[in-house]
Amino acid sequence: MLYDIRLNITYSYASLATGGRHLVRLMPADIPGVQRLIAGHLDIAPEPAERTDRADFFGNLCSDFAFRAAHDQIALRLQARVQRLATGARPAGSAPLAELPGLVAATRSLDPLAPAHFTSPSPRVQPDAAVIAFARHAAAADSLTAVEALGRAIHAEMRYDPEATDVDTPMAEAFAARHGVCQDFSHIMIAGLRGIGIPAGYVSGFLRTIPPPGKQRLEGADAMHAWVRAWCGPEAGWVEYDPTNATFAGRDHIAVAHGRDYFDVAPVKGVLRIYGGQSSEQAVDVIPLDGAMRA
Amino acid sequence: MPKPGAKPRKASLIEGYRPLPGVPDELLDASGAMRPAWAPLIAHLDSLSASDLVSHVARGEQYLREAGVYFRRYGATTLGERDWPFTPLPIVLPEAEWAQIAEGLAQRADLLEAVAADLYGPNRLVAEGHLPATLVGENPEWLRPLVGIAPRGGHFLHFLAFEIGRGPDGRWWVLGDRTEAPSGAGFALENRVASSRVFAEHYPGAHVHRLAGFFRAFRDALNGLQANASVLSGSKVGILTPGPMTDTYYEHAYIARYLGMPLLEGADLTVEGDAVKVRTVSGPVPIDVLWRRLDSGWADPLELHDNSYIGTPGLLSAIRAGSVTLVNALGVGVLEAQAMLAFLPRISEALTGQPLKMPNIATWWCGGSAELEHVRAEAGRMLIGPALATRLPFETDGTHALGGVLRGDEGPFDDWLTRNASGLVGQELVTLSTTPVLVGGRLEPRPMTIRVFLARTPQGWVTMPGGFARIATGTGSGTAAIAMAQGSSVADVWVLSDRAVPEETMLSRTAHPFARAEGSALPARAADNLFWLGRYVERTEGVLRLTRAWNARLAEDGGAALLPEIAAFLQSYGIDPVVPMPPGLIQTLGSAVTSASQIRDRFSVDGWAALTDLDKTMRRMGSTVTAGSDAALAMGVLLRKIAGFSGLVHENMYRAAGWRFLTIGRSLERAATMADVLRVFTAEDAPTGSLDLAIEIGDSAMTHRQRYPVTTRRESVVDLLALDAQNPRSILFHLNELREQAEALAGQPQAAAPGTEFGRRILEVQTRLALHSPESLTPEALATLRGDILALSGVLGATYLM
Repeated sequence: MLYDIRLNITYSYASLATGGRHLVRLMPADIPGVQRLIAGHLDIAPEPAERTDRADFFGNLCSDFAFRAAHDQIALRLQARVQRLATGARPAGSAPLAELPGLVAATRSLDPLAPAHFTSPSPRVQPDAAVIAFARHAAAADSLTAVEALGRAIHAEMRYDPEATDVDTPMAEAFAARHGVCQDFSHIMIAGLRGIGIPAGYVSGFLRTIPPPGKQRLEGADAMHAWVRAWCGPEAGWVEYDPTNATFAGRDHIAVAHGRDYFDVAPVKGVLRIYGGQSSEQAVDVIPLDGAMRA
Repeated sequence: MPKPGAKPRKASLIEGYRPLPGVPDELLDASGAMRPAWAPLIAHLDSLSASDLVSHVARGEQYLREAGVYFRRYGATTLGERDWPFTPLPIVLPEAEWAQIAEGLAQRADLLEAVAADLYGPNRLVAEGHLPATLVGENPEWLRPLVGIAPRGGHFLHFLAFEIGRGPDGRWWVLGDRTEAPSGAGFALENRVASSRVFAEHYPGAHVHRLAGFFRAFRDALNGLQANASVLSGSKVGILTPGPMTDTYYEHAYIARYLGMPLLEGADLTVEGDAVKVRTVSGPVPIDVLWRRLDSGWADPLELHDNSYIGTPGLLSAIRAGSVTLVNALGVGVLEAQAMLAFLPRISEALTGQPLKMPNIATWWCGGSAELEHVRAEAGRMLIGPALATRLPFETDGTHALGGVLRGDEGPFDDWLTRNASGLVGQELVTLSTTPVLVGGRLEPRPMTIRVFLARTPQGWVTMPGGFARIATGTGSGTAAIAMAQGSSVADVWVLSDRAVPEETMLSRTAHPFARAEGSALPARAADNLFWLGRYVERTEGVLRLTRAWNARLAEDGGAALLPEIAAFLQSYGIDPVVPMPPGLIQTLGSAVTSASQIRDRFSVDGWAALTDLDKTMRRMGSTVTAGSDAALAMGVLLRKIAGFSGLVHENMYRAAGWRFLTIGRSLERAATMADVLRVFTAEDAPTGSLDLAIEIGDSAMTHRQRYPVTTRRESVVDLLALDAQNPRSILFHLNELREQAEALAGQPQAAAPGTEFGRRILEVQTRLALHSPESLTPEALATLRGDILALSGVLGATYLM
């Protein structure tokens, strides 16, 4: 699948911001065999005094930038063309759940893809007894089966409600109330998987939304999305599962950044000095260019 | 010939000293004989009478009290203090033994450097199986944003501490590595001053190695880490502290003063074009080397803990660009995990082919199956706790098992161990040597550990010849872990030379020509605190004068007429004079103390002591003083103490920018308050006695009598207290003072037009006031004047402090 992705984010401040430094992870990833970034451009207004585009530890493309002049608004405009190659098919050779801890221990690596990064508590995913008990209940003998079973169970158990939680809602709180958005679903699934011994991490990205039959795709109506990846042993490697939609991540998922949890991939981080509040607006378009090939 | 009446020779202290059975001791060797290094000190102690001993010990305590040495404690909203638990008797070690310790620790320091370089570089230790990947991947101190960044200058580690103890076989063992931001070196210095006071008659000739040389070497090494170290460009080295809410802030301020380096907080720094700069009252000034006392995770809220308010956004960008050296590099806390002790001995063999010269405490990571079974079998003589904890073996917290007994709410021990195996380490419960402490004029043995400090210099690692000893307050039945957990005190460590030791000073020995150091630019935050210190102290004084006047009139016949007027005035400042020591007054002074405590590195010890003495006295009086003449007398005492503080500050403080901000704060507050006093107490309808009150508040009764001998009139009072440029209590005097300070800050000669917005605004207010006559300075005009003066505070902030 070939996509054009457009993203516009605007932050407006109640007063002039003096200085301000930001770190954004918005550029779609380029992953051999999974996804190709054909072209990508991130425009920042006003022009920052300094800007560095680089890759972070996990290989995510990020931009550091800072303003020195006073400003009351910043606008981020992303344009990217991406070819998505992954199909969402189940990989072969997943390891038995019981063997995973030994396989993790035998992996002598701290590369960004090494399972050792994804076994322990991380900034936004702390162990939670209720989530782990829920995950044990859904677990299966085979790790890949366990991943899918837990993802489905979370999808069935949780109510999707964009008004119920925000970006700072703790994972345990969302689970206790059984509601939330993709971020909450993903954090809960990560906590559950780690709790039963499956290394798990967080994927931020875009999801192509398919309009109802006969309707036009609404411009700007898409949103950034998040899902989970899990390590099912050295042979199957990493699989990506979307608990919000109870599906493996396939042609409709376009990955931006990978990390242990939201902390590692937050699309926009910033520190600035302002008096009063700020507001933001976000518009996302995921435009399929080869609609005829839609699966 | 003994003099008539002389007491018989008293028994030596050592005769009653009984070490614990089976436990090595610092004073006595295994055969029970005194170790030679101790002999001179014990002989000195024996030469003292019981009362001399008590008074000598008191000298050390007095020093620490006067120097204000204390630990700060975290509290919900308040900053608390804790007395420094100093034990007067040092631990004495001969230099030959110390040299062995230094050699072993230098080897370990090199090993830790190699491990840090590998963990943030090629990760060979994990790839080759010397370290489990999860032990690194799960360690929250391993900071992924730093991976792949080689520190400028090539080294991760520059300043280290090691906690060591002597085991049952007499050998020294490493109990813990302190790599992240080791504290205690400044406390070691303070302990040294205290112990040299206690043993003032003995210490100078006792051949004890001095500590200053170590600090001089480290300071020179820090200066040498600058990109362009040159005498003329001035030092761009600072100390980065988490700020006054941290328990070791006292030490940070102390060491900053001692080394002559600015003490900086994260908010003092800004990153521009990948360079780190200090926000100062003269604009951003580059900084090149930061001795970091702030834990890594808090250093940059953009890439590390995003809830950090004490970091510097963009610091990691500057580090990536290689424009700043952090001492030590960010992320080296990964080396402190207890589990590392299980692997370091083998890593040493693997990397260097050499065994560790000084062993570390035997440690097993339970993530290995053989290790797990060993720990399970030997649990009775182990401490089992979190693998990634950075605490020392005796600083147990959280869930742990001591001697096979599980503390905490985690179910049966065996289940807990199995369930959490990869997150646990077992460590041998060691018996550490004891050292004598003085208890009621006798010596008693207590377990102890020593923190040893190493600094990297161009010539290699140097070891502080001495250290910071912790001594358990009880014996713990011989088990150091238990004893230490029950509380400890601190002591000095003396390394004894066979020969006379050279006197040391902090003066550099390098032979370059004398150049007067440029005063380093004042950080804006420090300027802000000095300004507010000046204001709060002045406000305290003003309130004291008013409450004294209120209480004096309460006690006087016929004074009552003015009471409601004064009370209403005070209430507009949040002070209720009906309470003899109003809480609002105590709070105002408390705000002054808080401001001062944020900038302790800029304060003389005496200035700080005077301020805290004032604070303590006021609080003590608060519970005893009664309204009326008693309170009036108390206020008089406090006014004299405040004058003492002001005198110390203004007599002794160097006339640099810092003093100017303090002075601006004082003058601004005094001028504004006087305008308010005159507005209320010189009004046409003010009660009888109001004019005299205004003169009293203005401390100008004598002057007024001399200049206006006949009558007290509104015009004479307003003239003296508002318009007389020679009266240090008048409004005009302080506007002149403000103008002078503004001009000095702007770096302009007196005659030139003030170059800043702050200067221009002062000039406006000053000019308007100078055009007034006593008649035209009505209460309305005074109210406007007061508003104009108070508005200068905001202009000052916008000009210098943003």
